[in-house]
Amino acid sequence: MCNLPIKVVCRANAEYMSPSGKVPFIHVGNQVVSELGPIVQFVKAKGHSLSDGLDEVQKAEMKAYMELVNNMLLTAELYLQWCDEATVGEITHARYGSPYPWPLNHILAYQKQWEVKRKMKAIGWGNKTLDQVLEDVDQCCQALSQRLGTQPYFFNKQPTELDALVFGHLYTILTTQLTNDELSEKVKNYSNLLAFCRRIEQHYFEDRGKGSSSIRSS
Amino acid sequence: MAAPLELSCWGGGWGLPSVHSESLVVMAYAKFSGAPLKVSVVDNTWRGSRGDVPILTTEDNIVSQPAKILNFLRKQKYNADYELSAKQGADTLAYIALLEEKLLPAVLHTFWVESDNYFTVTKPWFASRIPFPLSLILPGRMSKGALNRIILTRGEPPLYHLREVEAQIYRDAKECLNLLSNRLGTSQFFFGDSPSTLDAYVFGFLAPLYKVRFPKVQLQEHLKQLSNLCRFCDDILNSYFRLSVGGISPAGQEMVDANLQKLTQLVNKESNLIEKMDDNLRQSPQLPPRKLPTLKLTPAEEESNSLQRLSP
Repeated sequence: MCNLPIKVVCRANAEYMSPSGKVPFIHVGNQVVSELGPIVQFVKAKGHSLSDGLDEVQKAEMKAYMELVNNMLLTAELYLQWCDEATVGEITHARYGSPYPWPLNHILAYQKQWEVKRKMKAIGWGNKTLDQVLEDVDQCCQALSQRLGTQPYFFNKQPTELDALVFGHLYTILTTQLTNDELSEKVKNYSNLLAFCRRIEQHYFEDRGKGSSSIRSS
Repeated sequence: MAAPLELSCWGGGWGLPSVHSESLVVMAYAKFSGAPLKVSVVDNTWRGSRGDVPILTTEDNIVSQPAKILNFLRKQKYNADYELSAKQGADTLAYIALLEEKLLPAVLHTFWVESDNYFTVTKPWFASRIPFPLSLILPGRMSKGALNRIILTRGEPPLYHLREVEAQIYRDAKECLNLLSNRLGTSQFFFGDSPSTLDAYVFGFLAPLYKVRFPKVQLQEHLKQLSNLCRFCDDILNSYFRLSVGGISPAGQEMVDANLQKLTQLVNKESNLIEKMDDNLRQSPQLPPRKLPTLKLTPAEEESNSLQRLSP
């Protein structure tokens, strides 16, 4: 959205290369910056920012909505991936452990699952059932949908960090194959969110996809 | 709707109806929406549970956790968000998430993890309200729970050391307070003239931070500089919680007022009697004015002087 030239690389040890243990991270010259918040600040320091045109109240709203997305959607995704037994058994273990040989794949997967479950318990999601989690996701999507309304982006004409964050989460939810599709069904209930995702995908990814080789050389 | 709703929660102090954020959120929401709640304060008898406080008990339901309690009250037609638009409802959810992510870790830290505060204020207060021997265990467990929550949600690398985590969470909390202050501006409540769920949540999180006297007060200092947030808390305390400040029930407060009135009346009567008696004594013929030769004043002026001395 900032028109910055990037090259996307998939690596198995990405989590270990990152300074904070989290993906995604960007590697620019001799600097490595990870996670959305710091990356946004880094890019802003270099002179590109999407939220300059917002006033103080709007910036506060944007931060609040970003926290809502982080709080609800991210936690729900983690829950579904790691605390729902069906999904864990069939998909997550296999996917998480796939780059490693036996027995490392099992050990690392169980360790990650134990960590995630601990975190869920600490924030009070430990006792939630899948239905309650889905209800929370529904509430969150409803809030996002109401905020978006009929506008093209959350803050009218220009996309901001919030749009990028929401797109990232919703796109992943919509396109990832899981044992049960209830999560993506919840999102599909809101047509303006679907239209939003499609619009961003078409505008920023498919058009770029055609010209990606030219961007790399620049 | 006529079923009695009983809320058990932690008690009050320092001018607040409750010192516990979540209990305060529920109480504030109940006041805003007009729900008739009977508040029973957790005390150091063995009656009642204190694990998941606040807890709402009705005839056939037990509801814990503020979000669920608020949902339950809304279903019972006690809705403080009736006049909000859809977008404002969405904003409410977003701001509550902001509070929980950015402000709550720092509030938890100030109350439960910061050793000065914990050992001098929080632990004695809570321990006095929990029966022995639980009072030895439960505050420690609550403190560990708070620390856990902070570390697990915030203490991810590269913030390995607790000091750095602390610095980060206080930075986030100050930013959150600034954002809230910007959003509130000069209006009385967050959405127009009547309070809503968001006001209840903000009040619940801010009021303990604002009022409880701590030794280590950096976040409190920052909050006190944001005068509109302080005014917001004071307004709500004065308008909705005036009668039950300090834990005295409204009936008790009226009795105190009545007693005070009676006392004042008695004192007034007494002073009137004393005045009359003195007048009578002065005017009686048993006291010849000539017995006081030093007084050069005329008898009329003597009378007026003595009367003036008696009046309050």
